[in-house]
Amino acid sequence: MQYTTDIRVIRIMCTGRMDPVVMADAFVHGLDGLLVLGCLFGECHYVSGNFNARHKINMTQEMLAYAGMNPNRLSFRNLSSAESGVFVKHITDFSTEIRELGPLGGAADRVPLPKLKENLEIARTALAGPKLRWVVGKKPVFMDSGNKYQEIFTEHEINRTLSGIIIDEMATHSILAALQKKRRAVKDLAKELEIPGPDTLKYVLALKRRGFVELDGVDGTSPVYKYKTEEGMC
Amino acid sequence: MEKEEPRIGVFVCKCGNNIAGLLDVEALEEYSRTLPDVVFTQWNLYICSDAGLEEIKKGIKEQNLNRVVVASCTPRTHEPLFRSVCAEAGLNGYLFEMVNIRDQCSWVHAGYKEDAMVKARDLIRMGVAKAALLEPQEIITSNVAVRALVVGGGIAGLTAAISLADRGFPVILLEKEKELGGMLRSLYRLAPMDMDASEVIDKKIKEVQDNPNIDIYTGATIDKVKGFIGKFDVTFSANGTSKDVRLGVVIIATGAGNLVPEGMYQYDGHKVITQWELEEKLKAGKIDGNNVVMIQCVGARSAERKYCSRICCAIAIKNAILIKELNSEAKVCILYRDIMAYGVQNEDQLRKAKELGIRFVKYDPERPPVVNEDKVTVFHHLMGKEIDLPQDMVVLSTPLVASEEAEKVASLFRVSLDENKFFLEAHVKLRPIDCATDGIFICGSAHYPKDVRESILQALGAASRASIPLSQGEVKIEPIVTSLVNKDACRGCGLCVALCPYNALEIRDTDEGRKVNVITVACKGCGVCAATCYRHALSINSFTDDQMEAQIHSFLAA
Repeated sequence: MQYTTDIRVIRIMCTGRMDPVVMADAFVHGLDGLLVLGCLFGECHYVSGNFNARHKINMTQEMLAYAGMNPNRLSFRNLSSAESGVFVKHITDFSTEIRELGPLGGAADRVPLPKLKENLEIARTALAGPKLRWVVGKKPVFMDSGNKYQEIFTEHEINRTLSGIIIDEMATHSILAALQKKRRAVKDLAKELEIPGPDTLKYVLALKRRGFVELDGVDGTSPVYKYKTEEGMC
Repeated sequence: MEKEEPRIGVFVCKCGNNIAGLLDVEALEEYSRTLPDVVFTQWNLYICSDAGLEEIKKGIKEQNLNRVVVASCTPRTHEPLFRSVCAEAGLNGYLFEMVNIRDQCSWVHAGYKEDAMVKARDLIRMGVAKAALLEPQEIITSNVAVRALVVGGGIAGLTAAISLADRGFPVILLEKEKELGGMLRSLYRLAPMDMDASEVIDKKIKEVQDNPNIDIYTGATIDKVKGFIGKFDVTFSANGTSKDVRLGVVIIATGAGNLVPEGMYQYDGHKVITQWELEEKLKAGKIDGNNVVMIQCVGARSAERKYCSRICCAIAIKNAILIKELNSEAKVCILYRDIMAYGVQNEDQLRKAKELGIRFVKYDPERPPVVNEDKVTVFHHLMGKEIDLPQDMVVLSTPLVASEEAEKVASLFRVSLDENKFFLEAHVKLRPIDCATDGIFICGSAHYPKDVRESILQALGAASRASIPLSQGEVKIEPIVTSLVNKDACRGCGLCVALCPYNALEIRDTDEGRKVNVITVACKGCGVCAATCYRHALSINSFTDDQMEAQIHSFLAA
């Protein structure tokens, strides 16, 4: 058995261990590709770890794609520990795919460096936050036994919710990051972050209500907001 | 815990020619010396040799190393050895990290020395980065209550109970019916040994009843199960009274049920019957008519039930022979898809059946046989035409199906069922009798359809497996488990509890409010909880987010 020297292996007990933050952090630090290899579905050594991993990896992929990275840089593939040939195939394929994509922040990614790195940092913050983690954590429970009213949800329904939260969280954390740098009016934020004005206002007001930003005077006719504190998260 | 500065020793192994054949090990050792926190390095021809191990001990003692990294072969074979050597020298074995530059580098990159050297340096650097963040861990031990629970009083459960009791362990045997014996009570003779079923089961029941180590509860239902290996707390009720018991291990032997083929092949329970109902007739020694047609795979290997029930072919062959022996004039025809007569004895029975003139006709599930008033019509694939078989009685071979109680029992003990609701083993080849949850074992047809011999064998196996923790009196667990690293952050939400496949997490009311408690004995360290916790309160020992991130950062820092 021979294979490409491109890969470096990090041992984990189960793919269920893969935290979205760790995955996002790898790309923040400039990794070009991250391949998570785990058991075949239904044959998980830890019963259901790989199903949990799939939910988290899918969500992380979507989040990183929204941040401007090519989502194919993160991949989840499966094999049994007895399939050396499949292992070689997976890493050879992945290495080829990543070589085709080129270095992070190049032509294959929607957003170039260094902006991509900023976006990925925001994505990492959002993935560390309670909203996405709560919903993705509840996903298998909601699909299996339902919520506390025994309402069972389809994967499609939960994914739609997750997609909505990804958009909200990226916007919210982008606004926070921008305000952390300097005070701004809503219309300037909207222009800079390419978020529609009414949505930006909605996010800013929500942040104000939760105590993350505060009014910092009025420029002409526009109220100006500034970053307040890290307290009160979630 | 006081934080001390890491003093890392890196030992690079040549593994004879296995590593040194491709990689320049001495250059790797030199490189290791430049890495942060590394205070001592050494290469060796074979680190796993006595001399090599001595060098690790010497390094720990003389250089005051508090972390050891060995760059060599695979942790699968050598991690326990190196850990124990560290421990012998007074260093906690979990302050050891292994870097695999053989299986993951020299063996698989032949002819690419330069790239392989780059990779080996990266791997060592990543290992050192992780080692700097390692923390000492202690092996976890937990006492085992010396008493076993056997759920189910059929042949498997009885056998397991006797086997455990004979080893001197107290056993509680629960049976949901009023009487012990299970399925065997309604059977006549057993294939392929041709033994009397009631004789076999009556003997077992008597043995169980006479055994002072076995407490029998019939008409029993389990109400509640809590705990984990060594300390299962089970509440059950029998005959109107409720009882709480603490048990070390559990054997599930809840058996299977029979499929009633309602609406198939004109089934009516009189003229078209199941093999089960035929057993009753054979027991009474009375078979009406001379022409008997048996149809195999009724309700099995279909879209609804994909599995093969394995034992129905042997049952059909046995019953066909019994009919012939009762009435040599009888014409018996078995319509089959594939004959499952595995093993020497079943093969012998099949040959005997053919010698007795029992006719075997293969049918195509696309063109199944049709049962009429006095004949069965079937497409004979060799003749290429439909043939009519006169019938006075049609016998349908139906599969064993999962017990109706299976789902309830599975959810009580939090063990998994397969797609057909049979109990699922932890690993089909490596742990075929264990459930994924430690301390719970399965035997008999609760697992999948089995004949009596197989059920007895598996029951003996389950009793043997279950007696390991019982006789050791304690269980030892690798400390690669979840730990609540940030108690203040935990809000006791229970998100992690719902996802834990091992029942290893619970919410407890504490002085500081609701907090998660890790039952380390039950934890397997998969890390789903830590990857999920929205408060980042949980982590996995020796596989923390920080350690993983440090590995990635140090790789990228090249």
